[in-house]
Amino acid sequence: MKNTFRQSGCKIILVALLANLHIMTFAQDVRILPAVSRSYAITQVTVFQGPGRKVDGGTILIKDGLITAVGKGLTIPPDATIIKGDSLYVYAGFIDGLSRIGVTKQKEEVPKEKAKDPGNPSNEQAGTTPYIDVRNLLNPIDKPIEEFRALGFTVAQVVPYGGMMAGSGAIVRLDGNAADKMVIKPKSAFYAEFANAERVYPNTILGIMAKWKELYKQASLTKSYSSVYASNRSGIESPTTDRVLESFYPVIDKQEPVLFKGEKNLDIQRILSLKSQLGFNVQVAEIKEGWDLITKLNAAGSKVFLSLELPEEKKPNAKTDKEKEKDDLLIVPDSVELKALQKRTDDFTAKYVGQAAAFNKANVPFGFSGLSVKSKDVIPNLRRMIKAGLSEDAALAALTINAAQALGLSDRLGTLDAGKVANIVISHKPYFDEKAKVKYVFIDGKIFETGPPVVDKSDKDKKSEKP
Amino acid sequence: MKTILKISISAFMLIVVSIHSNAQLETGSLLIKGGTVLTVTKGTLESTDVLVRDGKIAQIGKNITAPAGVKVIEAAGKFVMPGIIDAHSHAALSAINEATSPVTAEVWTGDVLDPFAISIYHALGGGVTTIHAMHGSANAIGGECETIKLRYGTKDADALRMEGAPRTIKFALGENPTRVHGGGNNIVPRTRMGVEFVIREAFSKAKEYGAAWDKYNIAKTQKNFRGAPPTYSKRLETLSEILKGNIIIHCHSYRADEIYMLLKVCEEFGVKRLVFQHVNEGFKVAPELAKYGAMASVFADWWAYKFEVYYSTAYNAAILTKNGVVTSINSDDAELMRHLYHEAGKTQKYGALTDDEALSLITLNPAKQLGIDSRVGSLEVGKEGDIAIFSAHPLSIYAIPMITIVDGIVRFDREKDPDDERIYVDPKEPLDAAFYESDKSYIDNCMKDAEETFYSLFELN
Repeated sequence: MKNTFRQSGCKIILVALLANLHIMTFAQDVRILPAVSRSYAITQVTVFQGPGRKVDGGTILIKDGLITAVGKGLTIPPDATIIKGDSLYVYAGFIDGLSRIGVTKQKEEVPKEKAKDPGNPSNEQAGTTPYIDVRNLLNPIDKPIEEFRALGFTVAQVVPYGGMMAGSGAIVRLDGNAADKMVIKPKSAFYAEFANAERVYPNTILGIMAKWKELYKQASLTKSYSSVYASNRSGIESPTTDRVLESFYPVIDKQEPVLFKGEKNLDIQRILSLKSQLGFNVQVAEIKEGWDLITKLNAAGSKVFLSLELPEEKKPNAKTDKEKEKDDLLIVPDSVELKALQKRTDDFTAKYVGQAAAFNKANVPFGFSGLSVKSKDVIPNLRRMIKAGLSEDAALAALTINAAQALGLSDRLGTLDAGKVANIVISHKPYFDEKAKVKYVFIDGKIFETGPPVVDKSDKDKKSEKP
Repeated sequence: MKTILKISISAFMLIVVSIHSNAQLETGSLLIKGGTVLTVTKGTLESTDVLVRDGKIAQIGKNITAPAGVKVIEAAGKFVMPGIIDAHSHAALSAINEATSPVTAEVWTGDVLDPFAISIYHALGGGVTTIHAMHGSANAIGGECETIKLRYGTKDADALRMEGAPRTIKFALGENPTRVHGGGNNIVPRTRMGVEFVIREAFSKAKEYGAAWDKYNIAKTQKNFRGAPPTYSKRLETLSEILKGNIIIHCHSYRADEIYMLLKVCEEFGVKRLVFQHVNEGFKVAPELAKYGAMASVFADWWAYKFEVYYSTAYNAAILTKNGVVTSINSDDAELMRHLYHEAGKTQKYGALTDDEALSLITLNPAKQLGIDSRVGSLEVGKEGDIAIFSAHPLSIYAIPMITIVDGIVRFDREKDPDDERIYVDPKEPLDAAFYESDKSYIDNCMKDAEETFYSLFELN
């Protein structure tokens, strides 16, 4: 609780605390009245209830964390705090399909000295720690939470740091509250990536693929024997308990999907190969090179989260001196060879940027994931995707309802409809507009006024997370 | 009426079937006209045509008329041979060595195929159509390997597989496994004795493992059985498949003593399908290899890159061949792979092999070693349409590979050779019109990944 007092606006907070209500924190000096009730009315706004569903001059009523009504000519309850929204634009809160914001990095387990027997590492060294629960690692005041919230993100599926099977993810609200109160859905997914262990098995993708198959089969066998044992324990050996294998049980039962990071084309092919051999439900997230695999992903029934990170646009003459020096050695400037190579690079940059449009054109629904994107690049990248042919409606769907559907939460999240959770983004211009800025964000009916996104620190943090 | 209906139904089903199989594997039809056809098994045929239909060789003869819609390749004055097969390659793989344990039988290179590797195209440029994409030689028992066809242009890793090719696995003797595990990690094996022990121990455990599962599977069929299954191990399962004869061993080896050692161990455990790789001292134990039915895949004249590879001779392939050992010449290297026809030609200078014997070293014999000789390795009706067309006799130093065909599809054509063969381009990759590579030719190619992990890390050099 102490942490909230770091912020300004202590008085307001005290009032809120006394009322046993949600805590409002403001980065700036804001003139919003303290929440004396959990009732709000956002009036005279352009409401995008969902993709393609626009209401001009509408009103949204919120009570006890839920949307109670959306439309025109609504009666405003007397206890409601009124937000006069003339010229504001309102959207459902955005959802990030794969992220590590708000997640504390565990201590590095990799020993400095080499392992005695690299073929038999501990689970921590090998990166096979599916028993780790990200809920134990949540940090509600992590700076990136505030940054992503300022962009309109209200909910994210977050996962632990770690190796090939880092642990279970959870779907959390980005509302800077106490760790447990952030969680919407615990154990939302079994998180995996093709991350090899350092110096020990599995040190390559070869070992990772084999390990997946072996653990899955071991878990299947142990699971079925455990149920035989549970039905009658007399006369047979007790099954061994194993934290790693037990973590697979809900996956085998298809109660929990495997959330796989699959950036590159070959990563995705290998994920789909494991899926077809082992049979788990899968979400493939942080996809960067997926344009040739749209049909395959769809046929496999995979949920899809496309990366919000894009390769940088070509900036002529933006080379470092060192690069220039190297260029002088190797290539004649503006040579035919260089131009041909540049063209291929440009063509592929265009494929990355056009990926979302390609999925949309093929009618394959997708959400977005922000695992590797810097917060300052999110909106510019969305605009680049739109410029490359993604409709604004499709972009909005990916940020809201499609992500909610992929995560199995579309009954509660993803659109602005009566009965849904009051996760709301309010922008002072249409969101994808060049000059748009998010003004307020509601999470669970709790209001946040957002300042300009703070970027400096997150850039550093983000770098350390890249492989 | 009924008959008509039946006919149309069966015609419809035929169409459905062919569409279905096309979806799995892309094949083509073409007619190669008027070349000198080197069949390898049925002699050399002057001015002869080869017709490939739907990926298979349909007809070999004179004056074949191209069926409607079938592309014709004029090959007058050119030489038509079976696509070259490399029984030892590490191309088209994302990783080669899982070098963290002396036995890693559970890993499989088929899991990590890379259809975007440019080396696939380069190999086609040398007339190669099929390669054995192997695990490296860091471990006494490495991983399973995958036999692939060079279907360059596909983006689908699965489309590279030669479906139905037998399973194979990499073993390694001598300096590589002892250096990595004994020298690097101070665990067994540190010596050649240790390598033998590791293999014997692995086989013994696999035997027990297989027996335990057999026992369990029988018990399971009994009524009211409630027992626990043995602990599953992918490693031991793979090893027990070797003992059952379902996987061909391809063993990296140099010295005669260690080659003979593995023969003895395999004999003891009843393992019959065995191919020695490199096998530089194979000439010393050629009769023993022939007697056992073990095969040999060698370099033409590459040696002295480490201590165990000094006692070598360019006559190795010829001596092995003359002793009745099924012998092939391999590359183990993406560059060497582009001129395997030259490598085969060297056996005519060193050992006076006939044209067919020399060509067999890079076609039929490697096919036998991979267990695919009923499908590829020679130009015969019914075999797969994997063909290389050369400007001159492929054993001539002047020969240039012109066209390479896989399953009846032209995958390389010198006339239409693109400048940039990358299928996927990483926009973050810096632009370089030239490219430096330090000279690492002294390092065995089998040691990729392992060298990086263990050499630099533990300063083994």
